This record gives sequence, C-alpha cells and structure tokens, in this order.
Amino acid sequence: MGSLLLPRLAHAGLLKSPVGINHLRPPGAVPEEIFPAKCIRCGRCAEICSYRSIRVLDIRYGVYAGTPLINVEEVPCYLCMKCVDVCPTGTLRRVSQEEVRMGLAVINRRQCVTWRGLALCRTCYNVCPFKEKAIHLDQLRPVIDERFCTGCGLCVHGCPLTPKAINIEPVYAFERKSRDVREEEAL
Amino acid sequence: MSGKKRRYSRWRLAVQTAAFLVILINPFLNYYWQFSFVQGWYQSLGIGKLWFVSPLEGLESILVSKTVYLPLLIGMLIPVLLALFLGRVFCGWICPIHFLSELEDRLLRLLRIKRRDLWRLPRMVFWFALIGELLLSMIIGAPLFVFLSPPGLVGREIMMAVFFHTLALEGVIVVLVLTLNLFTRRFFCRYLCPLGALLAFLGSKRRLLVVKREEECLKCGLCDRACPLGLSPSQGEGASLYCWNCGECVDACRLNALAFRWRAIGPRVQSDSQPRDE
Repeated sequence: MGSLLLPRLAHAGLLKSPVGINHLRPPGAVPEEIFPAKCIRCGRCAEICSYRSIRVLDIRYGVYAGTPLINVEEVPCYLCMKCVDVCPTGTLRRVSQEEVRMGLAVINRRQCVTWRGLALCRTCYNVCPFKEKAIHLDQLRPVIDERFCTGCGLCVHGCPLTPKAINIEPVYAFERKSRDVREEEAL
Repeated sequence: MSGKKRRYSRWRLAVQTAAFLVILINPFLNYYWQFSFVQGWYQSLGIGKLWFVSPLEGLESILVSKTVYLPLLIGMLIPVLLALFLGRVFCGWICPIHFLSELEDRLLRLLRIKRRDLWRLPRMVFWFALIGELLLSMIIGAPLFVFLSPPGLVGREIMMAVFFHTLALEGVIVVLVLTLNLFTRRFFCRYLCPLGALLAFLGSKRRLLVVKREEECLKCGLCDRACPLGLSPSQGEGASLYCWNCGECVDACRLNALAFRWRAIGPRVQSDSQPRDE
C-alpha cells in the first residue's frame, strides 16, 4: 500500500528496508518490521565493533538513517558479541554466538567452482566458525545446514569468486511474528 | 558585587566545554585505542555500566515499537530525575547545540555584530512541536527525532568523521539550526526542539528557579536583553516552564535582584530564611 501511494519514495529507498542479500543487521536484531522503530540510532554498536563490520546508514536511507548495517562482502561479522551488550534499547537482543541468526548462507551451485567440478575450493568451509555443523563437505562439496548457520558472512567474505558463489539471505529478518512472540522476545 | 558578576556563565562554559569534549574525544578513544569505557553521545551515553538514554528518544522507541525494555527505562531514569528537579538544565548546560550557539554568540560579539530577535512566535509552538513530532512518528511508524535531532547529530557526525572518514548528509540540519540563530537567538531551542519541550514539561514543578526580588529591581531590563530564550526575567518568567536555568540573567543583573533559589518541597513546608520564594 505504501509503495502504491508513494512509488517514488519507495524506489528512492526512503521506505524500503536496506536489509537484503549480504546486507544484514548486527547479531540479535529484532525483526526488521520493528527494527527502525526500536533503534534510537545512538551508534554505540558501531562504536564498539572492533572489526568495523557495523556501518551507520545516512539520510539517503530515509527513516532507516542512523541504523546499523553490516555488508558482509566488505567486512563480515566475527561474532565477538560486543554490540549486543551495549545496545540500550533491546533492538539487539543479548544472544549467544550459536543463537545468532543474521541470515542464512546459500550456495549458488551453478557458480561455485567446486560444485561445477572445475576446482577443489573449500574456502567457505575453512573459514566457517561452526565448521562441521553449519557447513560440511559432502564428497568434497560444501553443504550448509540451516540449523546451525548464523549468517555471519565469513564464507561470503572468503569466497574468491565474483560474483560470490555463496551469499547470505536475510531469511529471518522479514519473518512475520505474532505480537505475543515479539513481546516475549523483547523481554 | 563585581566579584559575583558573570559567575554562572563561566561555570556554564566550563561544563559545556567538558560535555562537548566527551563527545569529541570519545570516538577517537574508541576508534584508535579500542577504549570503550565511555561510549556514545547525548542520545545514549554509557560510562562503564552506567547508561543514560535521552528521554525523548527512549519515549519514541517505546511508543513506536509498542514494546517496553527495562534497561531502556532505567537508562532514562537519571535524565528524567534531573529534569524533574532542575528543569531544562540539559539544554542550558550540556546540549552541544547550545554550546555551539554560545560559541557563535561569542564570535558575533567579537565581530561586533548586533542582533535582534527578528522572529517571535507564540510560545505554544513549543508544545505543538513535541506533540506533532510524537504523533507523526507514531503515524509513520518510525521515530523521527532519533535521526533528525540536532544534539544527537552533532555526536553522530563526529563519530562518522572519525570512524568512516565521511560526514552524513543530515548534518546540514545542525548548520541550519546555527544559521537560524543569526535571525533569532536559539530559534530552534525556543520554539521547535521536541526534546527541550519534553524536558520543560518534566520540569514544570522543578525545584530550581530564577527568582526576582521585587524591592531590589530597578526595571533596567538588562536581564530581559540577556536571556537567550527571549524570556523576561523581570516579569518573573525565570520561574516559567520555558526557562532552562542557564543563569545568564542572574549574571546580567547588576543589583543582584535575580538569583537561583530552591523551591521548598511540598506546598506547606516554608523555610524561614527564604520567605520570598513562593
């Protein structure tokens, strides 16, 4: 409806969420539908991030200005979990490393050289912090297990191909949740 | 008497400078030395485990997301208590926008440029700014003051400059606010700042007031001219909702007819030494 009424704004990115493939919220983030409402743009998550993974958006992103975003192709999240401790609003919930669900790594089997049988690359497997759980090798080809993948993006960052053969899809950010679930999670 | 003159303005400048240095130095400490004991700026400031959250930003977050997060409320506690007891002292003594405006004032005085308050709006505009801002945020579903607040933007721009070696475009708002000062002193602070309005509202029953002693006043009008908010302390407006207790009028008064006074707690308690407070 909003995009019908304000098509130009939506196209200019004023209303559209900046979250997309490989562009993710920091760990423990609440669903994207209330993220811009809850976040007070204090920038403390970006200040504490030792790896400079978290960047702060500016007014070109409309009402999302000032919110934190991680572009895992540039700098992935190393799951140091400092940002979730400093968020004063509960926008980043205090989760453990294993509980982080920034997104889900998806392998493009038509792009990946190992899957195409051209080479024996296993960079994504090597860099994964949850090796043998989130990613394992099936006849030397990498396979993701969505039960354990945190979406940290280390595999994307490591993938030597352009365009990347492995990408993080923010599958959890746009889940619709009932208000009760949301409130429970907020507490 | 001359020893007492300009006492508050000196103190205020010292406090403002210290408050500004906090947000100026912090990003450097965080970025280059990973020293994160003090963090953030005046939207949310963390000193060790003591966290402050700006009341309006916190309120917006609660109203728009419709969820309550206890650490957020606790972070708002000290700023709210400060406003309840001392009024808008954040605006007058800490806010980086007021600090930059004061520097601007001093520069203009140095250049001998005189200003008159060209645009005067009804004071009610202040409350409409607060209510309108909150309503608009709730309708849009995204808090607006959190990314457009000039005091917050000063902090964010410094952080952006240090961390990402760039400036965010919305920083023009700060420039705009300072430009408006050229036409009317503290135009934004007076009429448009929703945060100031919220703090003023909280401080409506504040304890610290600027009180006038009638018999010592010569009605010279110096205090009225000194007030950066365009109030008339000579008419007793130092005790009004809008006063931010900066002490500029107290400094300006040559006869010590104006002074900060503590209002007695509760209506019945009257101390003997301060019979003229009420």
